[in-house]
Amino acid sequence: MSSNLTQDSDYEIDPGKKQPAAKIERRRTPRWRKMSLASYITLALVALLSVFPFYWMFIVASNGNEEVSKVPPTMVPGPRFPEVISDVFTANPFFGWSLFNTVFVGTVVAIAQVFFSSIAGFAFAKLNFRGRKLMVVFVIGTMMLPSQLGIIPLYMLVSELGWINTLTALIVPALVTAFGVFWMRQIIDAQIPNELLEAASIDGAGVFRVYWSIVFPIIAQSGFVLGLFSFLATWNDFLWPLLVLNDPQVFTVQVAVNQLKSSYTLDYALNMGGAFLATFPLLILFVVVGRRLVSGVMDGAVKG
Amino acid sequence: MNNKSPVSDASQTSGNSTGRGGRRTAAPSPWRADAQPGAPRKRKSSRREEPGSIRALNPGWGYVFTAPFFIMFLIFGLAPVVYSTYIAFFNWDPLELEHPFVGLDNFALLLDDGQFWMAVGNTFSIWFFSTIPAMIMSIGLAAILRNPNLRGATFWRTILLVPNITSVLAIAIIFGQLFGRDFGLINLMLDIFGFDRHIDWITEQVPSHIAIATMITWRWVGYNSLIFLAAMLAIPNELYESASLDGASKWQTFRFVTLPQLRNTITFVLIVGTIGGLQVFAEPLTLGGNFNGGDSRQFSTLTLFLYEQAFVNNKWGYAAAVGIMITLIVLVISAINFWLTRRIASEDAK
Amino acid sequence: MRNLKRIGALLLSVFVVLGVVQPAKAATPVTITIWSFGNVIEPWAITEYKKLHPEVTLQIKKGELDAHHQSLITAFLAKKTPDIAAVEVSYSGYFRSYPSYFEDLRKAPYNVGTIEKNYLDWRWDQGVGYDGTVFGMPTDVGGMQVAYRVDLFKSHGLPTDRKAVSALWPTWDKFIATGQKYNSKLSAAEKTSCTKKKICYGFIDNAGTIYNAVLNQASAKYYENNNTKDGKLVYSTNPAVKKAFDTTTKALKANIGTRINSFTSDWNVGMNNGIFATILAPAWMMDYIKQQAPKTKGKWDIADLPGGGGNLGGSQLTIPKSAKNKTAAWEFMSWYLAPAQQLTIFKKYGLFPSASSLYNDPALKNFKDPFFNNAPVGAIYTAGALKLKPIFEGKKQRAIDNIFGQALSRVAIGKQTPAAAWQQALSEIKKSVG
Repeated sequence: MSSNLTQDSDYEIDPGKKQPAAKIERRRTPRWRKMSLASYITLALVALLSVFPFYWMFIVASNGNEEVSKVPPTMVPGPRFPEVISDVFTANPFFGWSLFNTVFVGTVVAIAQVFFSSIAGFAFAKLNFRGRKLMVVFVIGTMMLPSQLGIIPLYMLVSELGWINTLTALIVPALVTAFGVFWMRQIIDAQIPNELLEAASIDGAGVFRVYWSIVFPIIAQSGFVLGLFSFLATWNDFLWPLLVLNDPQVFTVQVAVNQLKSSYTLDYALNMGGAFLATFPLLILFVVVGRRLVSGVMDGAVKG
Repeated sequence: MNNKSPVSDASQTSGNSTGRGGRRTAAPSPWRADAQPGAPRKRKSSRREEPGSIRALNPGWGYVFTAPFFIMFLIFGLAPVVYSTYIAFFNWDPLELEHPFVGLDNFALLLDDGQFWMAVGNTFSIWFFSTIPAMIMSIGLAAILRNPNLRGATFWRTILLVPNITSVLAIAIIFGQLFGRDFGLINLMLDIFGFDRHIDWITEQVPSHIAIATMITWRWVGYNSLIFLAAMLAIPNELYESASLDGASKWQTFRFVTLPQLRNTITFVLIVGTIGGLQVFAEPLTLGGNFNGGDSRQFSTLTLFLYEQAFVNNKWGYAAAVGIMITLIVLVISAINFWLTRRIASEDAK
Repeated sequence: MRNLKRIGALLLSVFVVLGVVQPAKAATPVTITIWSFGNVIEPWAITEYKKLHPEVTLQIKKGELDAHHQSLITAFLAKKTPDIAAVEVSYSGYFRSYPSYFEDLRKAPYNVGTIEKNYLDWRWDQGVGYDGTVFGMPTDVGGMQVAYRVDLFKSHGLPTDRKAVSALWPTWDKFIATGQKYNSKLSAAEKTSCTKKKICYGFIDNAGTIYNAVLNQASAKYYENNNTKDGKLVYSTNPAVKKAFDTTTKALKANIGTRINSFTSDWNVGMNNGIFATILAPAWMMDYIKQQAPKTKGKWDIADLPGGGGNLGGSQLTIPKSAKNKTAAWEFMSWYLAPAQQLTIFKKYGLFPSASSLYNDPALKNFKDPFFNNAPVGAIYTAGALKLKPIFEGKKQRAIDNIFGQALSRVAIGKQTPAAAWQQALSEIKKSVG
């Protein structure tokens, strides 16, 4: 699948790349298109604010509590970082497992969501079956339900199924979301010309074949982005994993960070060390796929 | 998995040739799916009237393809919510063996509960502070990013999305430090700029709402500006060129060309922001450290109030009633939103 | 179609794999599962017990205070409980109404009747159900005293010797008066800083903390035991509640506090920078002060709490009915809570023992803490803990506590008069609790 994705990416318009059309436009440079210094300053400021909390996380995790409690607080990283990180692993020896668990759950959920959302989205966008309109309205309606409302009955259900304290309890309820289906429907509706599907089906291809060999390759890029977002959501989910997981070996990373708190008090350095470990893999992932994420967000946008 | 059939190749070339620009404009929109750039605005999509959307494909597969979603959703999404709704009609202490039926009592009590109404007020206030300024900021940023002369466009776009990827949990501790009344960085900055008082970002009601709204804004402004950017890139160039020929100023161009074209996007961002805003929960929880929403409930939100009733007071029936009220409020607001959009649309048509 | 089958098979195998994704069990015969919030089981005990019983694995899950207790409630309903569960005192009122979900420790093989005398009576009582069932055993005591800054007392014209300081405030009124005296010695700059809504310097960190301290000195709070699980509500008639409320509003009006809230980052900075001179400090807070403000070493001392003893925090360890390894759980729990281990924990982590048989032990009695100016903290906290009386804590205690706390906050920020706040609190409790 991954190779499919890379191939698609050169078909995909990367908003970051300068398109030939854009070049032509630039030569004309109408008045409203001049870049001012103020614009760059604004951007730099926003960029600074965007990354500052991460930097602060690192400062706290690499200094003692008292450096952070100075007036004004220190703004440079201190020497304690390795010590704090090893403290995290002493306080919770299963921290590494937790990272692995989270990657596992996140990957399975991401793949499942992309698959289930795209087949349902395909059906809603392109297949003319009875009750389709009503079902789409239903899907949109369910997006408005506050998810917290059902958390306790869901716990009881999952416990009846014997999934308490297993990663299954995190995976199965997250396999589909109304948002994913809705999103995929929008993407397929916009990106796949009907003629293409007509042509293929006249050639005698079955519905699943059409989905798999025509629809999926075209939407793979958008699917990748949906998968990324569900991966991020799984990574950052907290309340539900805390409720259903009990043993340190099955904890996800957010629950593992929570294990660093002492009874009534808070060791800022230790907790920020944990938070740093829980965030760092995401930052790495972001460096690798950030551009795709950007184009995905823009593809999914409602325009005009 | 990797077989590239001639069909899919064809699809890619055809996708290419229908235009790189075209791809952007034909982006998904719940309101206007098939509109072409420059084409007269058609609010009501004609997609449904297209003669047989893929008639050749067996429509029966529609049920097969949507079944996994519906089955999973009914079991793990809807059933728990329905059960919650059932609970709302009982006096339901979780450890009690008997749960007496109380009819609509929970709802009556709720409507008479000052704490509930305070949560309603707080939720709307936080929603306001986190929606309107963030919207203006996102559109402004998008306008800057839209400029093709911008250097390092990819870099700027990417870095804007960074806040969106991390957990509220980790960030909330940091924001708690930044918003400290006496020694928080933000008040220290105000000192430097010559402010003669500190703002109590946590204890005072309105400032605490602004603090929470800042956390939400920080998280979503970049994301929303990319959405607006995508919408702006879809605006046909001819519109700008003719504005330019008419001698329109920068601001006039923005006001009379860009902004009207963004109306649907604004509505979309507003609806999504509203649904999210009415369920805001993690930020106030972590800022206050418990489900009370601050020492004098100054930032107790609806969802926080729901959890407080369920988790701290062990009143599951009452909590379920709160959940139903949240759902109703979301529905009403969405309906108003929808109605407004329709109204604006029909006025446009006149 | 073939692809469909292939994917189906793939998904099926994924689910099969998921079904068997279980926590990897270590090769030891017994695993005791323990749920707590924070470090109720201290790390030292975990390694120590491993040495004593290599065959036993302790598996600990920590949650936030509220989330932990909610997990416990849902686990009761699902009958998927741990072997040992911690119950914090603020929740003990609730669980006392439902002793049937726990093992009754009076019965065999626990027979706690024989060891009850080794523990502090009122702490023991927090693990006794309304019907007399003993469902939990006490961990530490959050015994409360006053931590004060010797250097600041000196510079503000107050005595510094801990006996003389304790003599300043036999009552809460005198404590407030001392606070006013301290504040009158603040420099002009410090005073204007507060009136200009900048940093407030003051005598105590947060005057709102007085409420709990005063209330715990009574013999009853919001409930009286009438041997029903609901208990009898007396919050509106018990003069002790009104007294605690009035004392606190008096302190708030006298402006002796800095209005910094406990456990915020401002509080940590304030502790480091001498913004306030006193903290009402439970025993476990001493450790926190050491961690957060190591450079203030030797500047602190401990004096008696006005009006008697005090308590904040502490928990009970319980064995739920549906626990799997009850015997092993009991073996660990009775070891962990035995006086010898409690003494080690006190020395290592500053948690004050609930095992009253230790109170005459020289190791505790003569324990001095250099951080707190060599104060005999063992003796001071012992004296305070012994002054408290057993209190019946009822089912909705936590909700009532919250409502009164919110009322006091409204007074503190000047939003309401004390009388109006009191009235609103009563009506809110009436609606919410009955």
